[in-house]
Amino acid sequence: MAVSLPWAGMAQPIDLSSSVWDGVVNIDASMQVPDYREPWNGGRPTGGSGTGFLIGKNRFLTNAHVVSNATKLVIRSSNDPEPHPARIVFIAHDCDLAILEAVDGKHFEHLKPMQLGGIPKLNTEVIAVGYPIGGDRISVTRGVVSRIDFRQYSHSGVDSHLSIQVDAAINPGNSGGPVIQDGKVVGVAFQGYSGNVAQNVGYMIPVPVIQRFLKDVEDGKYDHYVDLAISDFPIENPAQRKALGLGEDGIGVMVGSAEPAGSGGKVLKTGDVIVAMDGSPVFNNGLIKLDDELVNMNEVVERKFAGDSIKIEFLRDGKKMKETVKLARFEPYVRLGNLYDERPRYLVYAGLVFQPLERNLMDAHSIQDPLVNYLFDNFLGDKLYVEKPEPVILTQVLPDEVNTFLTPYAHGVVEEINGVKITRLADVKAALAKKIGDEPFVVVKLMEVNRPLVLRRDLAEEAHPRIMKTYNIPQDAFLGE
Amino acid sequence: MKTFLFSLSSLVLAMSLCAQGPEVAVDSGGVGTPREAIIKSSSLLKVNVTYQSFSPHIPWQKESPGSRRGLGVVLKGNEILVTAQMVADSTYIELEQPESGQKLTAKVKAVDYEANVAVLVAENAERAKGFFAEVKPMEIDTGARIGDGLSVWQIGPAGDLIVTPLRVSKVETAEYFVDGSVFLVYEGNGIIRTEGNSFTLPVVKGGKLAGLLLRYDSKNQVTTVLPAPIIDHFLKDTADGTYEGFPNLGVEFQLTLDGQFRDYLKMKEGDTGMYVSQVMKGMTGEKLGLKEGDIITSVNGFDIDSRGNYRDPQYGTLSVSHVVRGRAFVGDALKVTVMREGKEVVLEGKLARKNPAEMIVSPYRFDRGPNYLLAGGLLFQELSKAYLEGFGRDRQTGPILRLARLAKSPEAFEKKGCKKIIFLSAVLPTPSAQGYERMGGQIVEEVNGVAITDLTTLDEALKKPINGVHTIRLGEFPHLIHIDALAMERDNMAIITGGYRVGSLKRIE
Repeated sequence: MAVSLPWAGMAQPIDLSSSVWDGVVNIDASMQVPDYREPWNGGRPTGGSGTGFLIGKNRFLTNAHVVSNATKLVIRSSNDPEPHPARIVFIAHDCDLAILEAVDGKHFEHLKPMQLGGIPKLNTEVIAVGYPIGGDRISVTRGVVSRIDFRQYSHSGVDSHLSIQVDAAINPGNSGGPVIQDGKVVGVAFQGYSGNVAQNVGYMIPVPVIQRFLKDVEDGKYDHYVDLAISDFPIENPAQRKALGLGEDGIGVMVGSAEPAGSGGKVLKTGDVIVAMDGSPVFNNGLIKLDDELVNMNEVVERKFAGDSIKIEFLRDGKKMKETVKLARFEPYVRLGNLYDERPRYLVYAGLVFQPLERNLMDAHSIQDPLVNYLFDNFLGDKLYVEKPEPVILTQVLPDEVNTFLTPYAHGVVEEINGVKITRLADVKAALAKKIGDEPFVVVKLMEVNRPLVLRRDLAEEAHPRIMKTYNIPQDAFLGE
Repeated sequence: MKTFLFSLSSLVLAMSLCAQGPEVAVDSGGVGTPREAIIKSSSLLKVNVTYQSFSPHIPWQKESPGSRRGLGVVLKGNEILVTAQMVADSTYIELEQPESGQKLTAKVKAVDYEANVAVLVAENAERAKGFFAEVKPMEIDTGARIGDGLSVWQIGPAGDLIVTPLRVSKVETAEYFVDGSVFLVYEGNGIIRTEGNSFTLPVVKGGKLAGLLLRYDSKNQVTTVLPAPIIDHFLKDTADGTYEGFPNLGVEFQLTLDGQFRDYLKMKEGDTGMYVSQVMKGMTGEKLGLKEGDIITSVNGFDIDSRGNYRDPQYGTLSVSHVVRGRAFVGDALKVTVMREGKEVVLEGKLARKNPAEMIVSPYRFDRGPNYLLAGGLLFQELSKAYLEGFGRDRQTGPILRLARLAKSPEAFEKKGCKKIIFLSAVLPTPSAQGYERMGGQIVEEVNGVAITDLTTLDEALKKPINGVHTIRLGEFPHLIHIDALAMERDNMAIITGGYRVGSLKRIE
């Protein structure tokens, strides 16, 4: 058992008189969580508290998840008991960052904005400052940089970016707070590790991700990350290397699949071998050399903005090719992640409730149906989005005498209504209105259900207002802004 | 866990009550003595089965053995009737005299896993002579109806007979042991006590066999009986030495109760029948000429109501499946009347059967191992229900959901001419498969330029590498892999003898 305290010598001095964390504020958020089960309802009011910090004149940086779905925001600074109303200026759910401003900024004019530093080195000390659970006043915890790696951001659940692991205690309420080294911000505390397997694991959003966000919003709007939308398959097998026409220099990674609707899919296809991006060599394992360091090849794309291009050199059937790819956001990906600040979309017709397939919906309805789960789990892998960019689910049948025989078909996937293919929720409205000749029926076909669901139009239209009233539905559809 | 403890304690309680006053039971029952006399010339044998199933995911291995204990009914010719469930994956079967404890090794003579019946015979006829000397065969009575009193027979630890009365309250069709096989059952209410041999209890009517216990739901005290008519069908089919099995129609039906659906189908007030929603390829329905959208109004002269039932002379209202499956034989005439586009059409043909082996996705598998092929660590298997069921429900994500969906509707593969759906199920790490260790769940489309339609085509294709390299094209990510042919051969040797000790690189039966 070591008794020496190695930290004593290495610790950075904390100057209590300094105003280093004067700019660190508490953010109190009132929220309304949308109800994807009863999508016509306003949702469930709740609240939360997090941290933010001043980065410029009346500009506070925090996490997107601190202020998502907010109905009211209030900022408090450490030496001022007054709550100051605030609002969101920019929010980026894909990298969990947001910028707030106080409605009246003059209360904060005397505070000095905090400066951004760089990427801290491993095993150097950092402090996390914020307003975590356990008390009301500002809290400081201390630790070292444990790891710098690409990692999933849990706010959206689908985006991965660079993140830095620290062993300073990061607890609920710390979110959005600065992690500081040598008086400069080196990250934004944003998530811990759930489960009992890991201990002393906290994560912060590092400066490159913050700077990218700040640069993206310079033009007044946030354009999201762009994506090449390909999956690379490492080439470790000698036969694979030989068959694909590669040398022994370790250069080249295979394209395992390229999304036809993605930026990369316009140029690349399965079996192509990427050898360089923007002139930097790409290695067999999908790493790329940038600034003399080996990093994930996605890092090249990570630093780009919507509309930027990337130069890709690749081999196809042993032939060298070179193409420039214009980068864009990959939309089909978005619905697989958590969505915020959006009103749930739906359409009700004679008690049949139609909703688009999204992660929020899967969670809210806890859908067990194997077909719906297959669609969700293989939406990209099996390229299902090509035919159905927005699968529509018959999520419930609100019972009434008009639809009582259709109740077992809830959680079905809508294929066709009145002969019209349904590819997105907006199609449902027009399809329901469509009449097939003088047929007095509305005919709904579900995927892999071999009988049509049939409603007599006159009965359905008569029942519709009654059902709306009985089940307290104020509006029969919300198809988006 | 809680339930288990409860049932255990109640069992102990029941036994101690018996011990206190056996004479009370004789007095009040009054039936103990004479019934026992009948059983002295017993038709019942204890049957002890050791079974061992193959692992669906490590197909060259067997799971650890287990045992089942039940009762068998001696039929004429000293054939022993048990449920198929009892002998599934059996490795050793033993008959035991309830009183003397004398034992005899037996084997399966015939088995039908769909109808859940099997007959056993002695392994060695010579030794059987003495064993069966005191045994009296039981006859079969197929005449039970709703309201009839039956009794369930059990044998206590000392060979004593335990008789539990049972009244038939319902006759219907219900699922048996294998997924999707629906046949006639009798259902009754009553409590059946737990004994050491709980499988395959005989259900008796007036000293004749009326059925075998199919299942007992202790929570609701519902007893389900596999009835004599199905057993009789099985025995008649086996009698000529070749077993054909029960016919299958291969048609999916829907009820026509929904008024608006009936209007849509142009059914008039009082019209009945069931809506044909799917006709499976290569089965009776398709051969007969049934089409999706037909409304079946009668089958072999029986009118069909809107729930898909007919009026059976013996049992009353019953599912039509009994007409084309339970009470019919392969080759029997079939006459179906349908309403098609407002006109009555009469279809005539013969009942046929499609065997599980001919199906692209095998619906069940017992007594033999799953087919597989190992090549340089890549494990290829046939998509089957048994494989998918090997995963618990909570593990059904991503690739398993995709495979399960293919298994449910494999029409596209049938159209391509596939006899089986072959997929890469896992990879044993070997030098030749370096970089592919984490793969699994991909459909194999083409190997060395040859389309893969079953394991045999795969086996042949792997004998013809191009320029010393195998090229494997898959339906899913990463779509394309290559393996050095020589390195693969070297690894194949190592797989057999080395750390994996696989024994055999393939099973293609």
